[in-house]
Amino acid sequence: MGTTERTTRLKNRCRFKHVAGGEYVDAGVKAGVERARLITQSHKENIGEPNCVIRAKGLENILSNITVHIQDDELIVGANTEHPDYFPMYPELSYFATLDMVESQYCDHKDEMREITEYWKPYTIQTKGEKYFTPEEIGIMYSATTIQPPMFVTAFSSIVPTYESVLEDGLLKRIEEVEKNIANANASLRKSPWNAQENLHYLDKLDQWKAMVIAMKAVVGWAQRHARLAKIMAENFLTDAKRKEELLEISDICRNVPANPARGLRDAMQSKWFTYLLCHSIERYSSGYGQKEDKLLWPYFQKSVIEKSDQPMSREEAVELFECERLKVSEHGSTKGRQLREFFAGSNDLFILTLGGINPDGSDASNDCTNAILEATESIITTEPSISFRWNEIGNTETKQKVFNCIKKGFGFPSIKNDEMNTQQLIKYFNVPEEVARDWALVLCMSPGITGRRGTQKTRSEGGSDVYPAKVLEIALTDGFDEFFSNIQLGPKTGDGAEFKSFEDVWNALKLQLRFAIELGLRSKDVGRIMESTHLSCPFISSIDDGCVEKGMDANALAEVPNPWHNIIGGSVVVIDSMTAIKQLVFDEKKYTMAQLVEALRNNWEGKEEMRIDFWNAPKFGNDDAYADAVATKYYDLIADEWKRNTTYSGTYPLPLAQSVAGYIVNGPKTAATANGRHAGEALDDGGSSPYMGCDKNGPTAVLKSASKINASKYKGILLNQRLSTVLMNSDAGFDLWHAYMKTWHSLDIDHVQFNVISQEDMKAAQIEPEKYTDTLVRIAGYSAKFIDLARYSQDTIIARTEQDMASGS
Amino acid sequence: MSKCEKCAFFFPIPEGDMDFEPGKGDCVRQQEDTKGKFWLSRPVFENSDACEHHRTQIN
Ligand code: SF4
Repeated sequence: MGTTERTTRLKNRCRFKHVAGGEYVDAGVKAGVERARLITQSHKENIGEPNCVIRAKGLENILSNITVHIQDDELIVGANTEHPDYFPMYPELSYFATLDMVESQYCDHKDEMREITEYWKPYTIQTKGEKYFTPEEIGIMYSATTIQPPMFVTAFSSIVPTYESVLEDGLLKRIEEVEKNIANANASLRKSPWNAQENLHYLDKLDQWKAMVIAMKAVVGWAQRHARLAKIMAENFLTDAKRKEELLEISDICRNVPANPARGLRDAMQSKWFTYLLCHSIERYSSGYGQKEDKLLWPYFQKSVIEKSDQPMSREEAVELFECERLKVSEHGSTKGRQLREFFAGSNDLFILTLGGINPDGSDASNDCTNAILEATESIITTEPSISFRWNEIGNTETKQKVFNCIKKGFGFPSIKNDEMNTQQLIKYFNVPEEVARDWALVLCMSPGITGRRGTQKTRSEGGSDVYPAKVLEIALTDGFDEFFSNIQLGPKTGDGAEFKSFEDVWNALKLQLRFAIELGLRSKDVGRIMESTHLSCPFISSIDDGCVEKGMDANALAEVPNPWHNIIGGSVVVIDSMTAIKQLVFDEKKYTMAQLVEALRNNWEGKEEMRIDFWNAPKFGNDDAYADAVATKYYDLIADEWKRNTTYSGTYPLPLAQSVAGYIVNGPKTAATANGRHAGEALDDGGSSPYMGCDKNGPTAVLKSASKINASKYKGILLNQRLSTVLMNSDAGFDLWHAYMKTWHSLDIDHVQFNVISQEDMKAAQIEPEKYTDTLVRIAGYSAKFIDLARYSQDTIIARTEQDMASGS
Repeated sequence: MSKCEKCAFFFPIPEGDMDFEPGKGDCVRQQEDTKGKFWLSRPVFENSDACEHHRTQIN
């Protein structure tokens, strides 16, 4: 329940947009048509203009004409569609994703949307990008078996908006600055004598700057529309004096921001929310909620809550505002193709904010704003936004206790990232100055990136996209051909596994299949990047980045601070355990031959139960077992080396990121039987260093020791899921035990850990009487979901995770 | 035929606002469903033909 009557009411009537099994759970959820209609109308009127200007005018047409709304009780206003139950559509991105939505039960304007979808077909980044790939490559990518389909067809992206520049400057000041750049360029172009070398570069810049001005003015106008609506409501529709007063204050706030700098916490929250909507779901779609919220809002929290000098408010009111923010995010809808809806089982999208860590000067960055955000999280109980906490040795215990309080309640978050390790990664691999690196936040589930006024990540073609390693190992044993699911040649011909003579032969086939998948994935991202820069300019996103304004460049094109990464999603531990079993049973002990194994896997272990049990009982990762852990180390070094061979758009090699989202559930059914004793179709492991379900038998410290043998500093991140005992976590000694566990975790240089604290009994009871467990949350892998929104199959994978007893120590 | 101009839900846009145009206004209507009340605003012009929700201004 919320801390106030308002947030309790808002929670009770929250218009959640969670998906389960690829479908929206709430009956009223629909696809909004206004954004698609307005951007199409503008596109038709402006064809022939430079792309950035077309895009700016498209945004202007949306913001000037889309229906805006304010709901009862709201303190933060603004949405991405014409109705609070809707999510928007993006016909300019992916033809397939739009068509999937148009033909679904969620679209009520089928004829109009079919026409819009067809209109956009030649202009989509999908059509533009596809032509650089052969039909065979397209077939492999679209099968979503070894790699994720390219961003130009999934339309999936992620971004860290440069919130600071909006909150600190306000858009009117930035418009002035851009207009100054335009005036200077025009003056230079007219200087005598004519100098082409010095001036021709201005032509594109002038277009970019002009587009930025159009976009920023449209945004100010859109905020003014909200200001007018709040005032009209107060003066014409409502009788309650308190609500009228609130609406007049909301009106005043929307008049002030984002046009001007934020004065206090209410301005800052509203300005941040408008900026979020624009960058993540109006100008284009991008997943995430990347921000270092306690750093971003701390100056305004100080002014309003502590000093009470601007927009004064009590601490309780600040907590209420953070609760409102969580509910606003919970109502936020986004549209994605089916594969991604399935990937986010039980959720709506990925929303992850970051707290804690240290300040640029090295002091503890956890402050009372951090604490208020955590208190709001603990009281309102929503799955979104998830939180990542940067665990630093110097972090204060009071905040760590509040982190513990959320974890012990079973939210599955905050997830914990190793602050020192992630800061060092940005310094070492991406040349980020230390004081800038110290302000990092997660871009999406697991990957750190810088925050601030410039150089933040703007597109998933920089980071993101997936390789699915369990499937890659499967085809490494079948000459690159997928016999189980797609029936196509997914990779190079690396030989029939039945004929492999040594363990090195297996490694080599795995390496070559991985290499092919990695390179195809990277090429598709970089081709997508060019398509985004050329055909999908984002003038608003560019206008709030100091670097883009200075250089007159589109945000997709500018890679001021490289931050490339690439995911290996769900299945790494299946590969490790499978390779370990092959090494032991085929090549060391010679109990079975490769021919027998390949045949058994092809037949899903049918008639070979004894053999399957042998493979299942082979050493497993997660038990501090030297034999299995040596394979894990070798596998993870191989992965890092393979990515290191490549150079991406931003001029350096990407770091791999081992995690899962719900990929371990979605990809399980596409993956044949594996040599770890798993049957075909069963779930994969749920993250980078999470032991396979039920295979960690030696206690929590053994899991940590196994995880610590992987050199996490070569990675963007390596996910570790742990299930902890509810009884212990809720005991008097709970915090001390957990704190001691966390100290061990930190001392072992592990990158990440997140916890499920829910009993087997409660999960089983929730399966029988779901209506009694509406607030029961669980951690999937990178995000949390309501347990009852998950499909039975997904629920069972969480029940099957080993519950660790921290008190046992070993 | 009635025009938006005479409708109780028509509110002219103040001069000086970014989206000001002569004759342009906000059409603001209250809606309610099982999850509560909300208010919608969309741009209309005073000389647009009134819609089925038109309500005559009292003053
Ligand atoms: S559109 Fe209808 S409700 Fe709106 S102002 Fe015009 S007549 Fe009134």
